Formats: sequence, structure tokens, C-alpha cells
Amino acid sequence: MRLPIYQVDAFTDRLFGGNPAAIVPLERWLPDGTMQAIAAENNLAETAFFVREGEGYALRWFTPTVEVDLCGHATLASAHVVFRFIEPERRRVAFETLQAGTLVVTRQGDELAMDFPAWPPQPAEPPSNLAAALGRNPTELLASRDWFAVYEREADIAAIKPDFAALRRLDRAVIVTAPGTGGVDFVSRFFAPAAGIDEDPVTGSAHCQLIPYWAKRLGKARLAARQVSSRGGTLTCALEGGRVTIAGQARLYLEGAITV
Amino acid sequence: MSRQRPSRLPIYQVDAFTDRVFAGNPAAVIPLESWLPDATLQAIAAENNLPATAFFRYEGERCAIRWFTPTIELPLCGHGTLAAAHVILNLLDTSAERVVFDTTAATLTVSRHGSGLALDLPLNRAAPCAPPAGLAEALGKVPTAVLTTRNYLAVFDRADDVAGLTPDLAAVARLHCTGVIVTAPGRDGVHCVSRYFAPALGVDEDAVTGSAHCTIVPYWSGRLGKSTIVARQLSPRGGALTGEVCGDRVILAGEARLYLEGTITL
Repeated sequence: MRLPIYQVDAFTDRLFGGNPAAIVPLERWLPDGTMQAIAAENNLAETAFFVREGEGYALRWFTPTVEVDLCGHATLASAHVVFRFIEPERRRVAFETLQAGTLVVTRQGDELAMDFPAWPPQPAEPPSNLAAALGRNPTELLASRDWFAVYEREADIAAIKPDFAALRRLDRAVIVTAPGTGGVDFVSRFFAPAAGIDEDPVTGSAHCQLIPYWAKRLGKARLAARQVSSRGGTLTCALEGGRVTIAGQARLYLEGAITV
Repeated sequence: MSRQRPSRLPIYQVDAFTDRVFAGNPAAVIPLESWLPDATLQAIAAENNLPATAFFRYEGERCAIRWFTPTIELPLCGHGTLAAAHVILNLLDTSAERVVFDTTAATLTVSRHGSGLALDLPLNRAAPCAPPAGLAEALGKVPTAVLTTRNYLAVFDRADDVAGLTPDLAAVARLHCTGVIVTAPGRDGVHCVSRYFAPALGVDEDAVTGSAHCTIVPYWSGRLGKSTIVARQLSPRGGALTGEVCGDRVILAGEARLYLEGTITL
């Protein structure tokens, strides 16, 4: 069986930046084992599969080892493939997901805007070794889906060299964040060694937590964000009601076919 | 400032040393008309995120070849060479019988061999040595013999011993060697099984390793008194190869399968 495949760098306007995802549009679902094997063979952080369903698409995401509940960058990359190769006349696409409800992506100029849930971080009792594993003390430690460590300056975030073995023993991934500079409202990095990713290049779901925090702290509903990983990512963010909008560009790297 | 027109390159992904997709060792293969800057080759290999990306360019009748992991250039890569030869001999130049690759260090010839391909590599014989401190502890099991080249070759009695190892990779990385090959006799027509751990190179466990078989094949050829050795690498993906010692060379034969064919835009 021959299937189309695309590799897209999400949340960037330049090749080799952002977060890469493989996208495999399907006519009908493959056995879960086959989709998992394709994701393992691709060996990217995520491979997304989607099938036409009514007016939109049903969407699933796999890492090289497991299926995941929600993946922002592979949703952005999937929308890029729909708008560019499958339905170029569309302005808006809705993806039905198994665990994360309906995810709508809309074209906004050069960017694709995703409507995601807001997960405001709350005060929490952090694990005693978290600050030590990050190598410097945050000014504030919160939690939502992930541990959420706030620092004073962008330079603090860039300088963090985590002890990944220690972070691997935590029950959640870790977001580190600080105010940005030069027109950027906030910067962040995301560490998830327990999920097999020491550092994720750009993380949509982390921004479900970052946006409500910074919107409240800065008193702004619209925010410009940078994830300052080595590949780097740029996100345009908004808080509207109980939802966030996470927008970014995407850059096609590979277009081809696989034989499975 | 005018933007340079984006360049498009063909790309292939091939599973080497296997007769089925999703097994063997995957490599990306990119034929080039002219060499790109090293930083671009490295960035493409990082973007592919496979154990190896092989780039080659025809220079007359021969091919110049280079291999990159996601982080570094490799001096030699058997599975990346087999993958490149598979693309050349099965897709690009189907009338050719062999392809000769030139690297900065060596010449590597790949020839058709039954339904697969045979790769001619330098033999790398291991010599018996005293068991190095920390090796048995790192592997979690005491080998019956240890030999050394740039890798340690740790020999066990049974294939199940090799299949069942769960090494302490941090401890393996501290050993004074490139990596550790573990091997044992096979069964049912397979002469030997192996696995290869090279955490110091950033590869916890390699799926199928051509260079390790430059050591494994001569060891079992000598021990079993056989010129042709049927080998299996028992990584989770698994691989199959046949090796033959020819003087100071090892001829490694195996199959390869095309997984992906496409175009990248730079």
C-alpha cells in the first residue's frame, strides 16, 4: 500500500526551525499497530494521521512509541497540509480528536490559528528536587498539566541546563518561562524526559498553560511568544473566554509517498 | 534583496539489512548534483532524525559518499552505504551490477547478490583480552569471553542471554571503547546473534550494524570453521545479514526495503 506523506516544520517561518511533524492523510484508518510502526519509522516527535469525516477530519497523533491525547504542532502541520494540498479553497478546518474534542484551525494571513483549551496554572506544592533539577531557583512555581516554573529574565531561561535524569523521575513535564524582550511578551522552554523528549522544540500544549498566566500577569489578551529551544519557535497567542488561540507559520520540508 | 529560488532534492528512506519495512536499520539517502555546505548536510540529517542520512554524488563512474547522524558526520556507515546502493541499483541505475563509493578514508564496493546486495568492508579482527573492569556489571551478566578492537566483543553461551540483556547504558558509556558488541551462537540455520550498544556515540542500541559485523563475522568464522556466517542482530527492529571473510575484507550481504520516496525543499 502506498500512502502520501509530508514533513512540516511547525511554528516557524524557516526550514530547520520549529517543531517537525510527519503527516499521513488516509482514505480510511489503518490498524493501530501499523500507524504506530509508521510513527516509529519516521522517528519524529509526532506523526499525525487524519481521515475525512463529514465536513472536517478525524485526527490522531503518535510519537515513535505511543498514541498521544493532544499535539499542537502536529495539528498546525496537519492544517498546513489540508490547506496547501487537499482543500486549498478552505479558510477553516475542524479536526475531531479522541480525547481533546474538536480542534479548529483558521487561516490568518501567513499564520494558522488554532483554538485550544486554556489550562491556567495554579499554586501547587512542587516536588522538592524540581528547582535543583533545573539548576536555578524560579521566582514562582505553579502547576497545571505540567510543572510551571517562572523566572525573572529571558537569559535565565536560555541558561537552564536541566538534570534530565532527575526530571525523568517527576510525574509531569516542566515548563520554564520568563518575560521576553524586543516585542516578545514571554519566552519558554519545555522539558518532558519522562515522555522520551528531553526538550521539545516548540510545544502547543504548553501554551495552553502559558497564555492564561501571561495574559493575566501582563493584563494583555494578545501576546507574542517565543519558545527558545535550539530549533526555536514563534507563536502568536490570544486569550478569549476560556479558550486560547495559538497561531504560527508552518514550513513544508518533505513531500513524498511511503510503501507499507 | 531577492530571495534565492528554493532548491528541491530527491530523498529516499530505506530500511537496510532486512527484507521487510519497519525492520532493519533506517537511513535517509539523498543524491546530490553538487555538494552542499557541511552545515546544510548536517541540518538535513538533524531534520530527518534517523540514525544516518547518506549523501552521494556521482563523480564519473564512481560515487563520493558522506554519512551524517542527527549531530555528527560519521567516518564509515555500513547500513547507510547499503541503503544508498539500494537506491542506486534498484531505482536510479538499474542496469548497473555494482557501485563503487569513495570516502575520504576508503573505497567501498556494493554488488548485486541474489535478491539483495553485498557490501565489501575492511575486516576488523578482535583479539582476546582480560575482561575489562566494569564490563560484566554494565551488561548485567558475565560473558564467557571478551575480545577487543575499538569495540569490546562480549561472547555469551546462548542466544537468549544476548536477547535478555538490559545493559546499564550509563555504565557502558564509561567503558574505554567505542561500543560493546554482545554475541552468542544462533540456532535454526543462524550461526550467530548479536546486539550493539554505543551510548558514547549517542546510540544506545543500534538496530543493525554493518561495522560490528566486520568483527562478529571473522570471530564466528574462525570459531565455527565456516567461511560463510549467517547472522541476526537481535535489536527490537531486528536485522539479517550473511558474512564471508575474504582475506582482510568482510563481504556483508543483506536485503533492503524502500519505505519513503519524495522531495525535500530547502
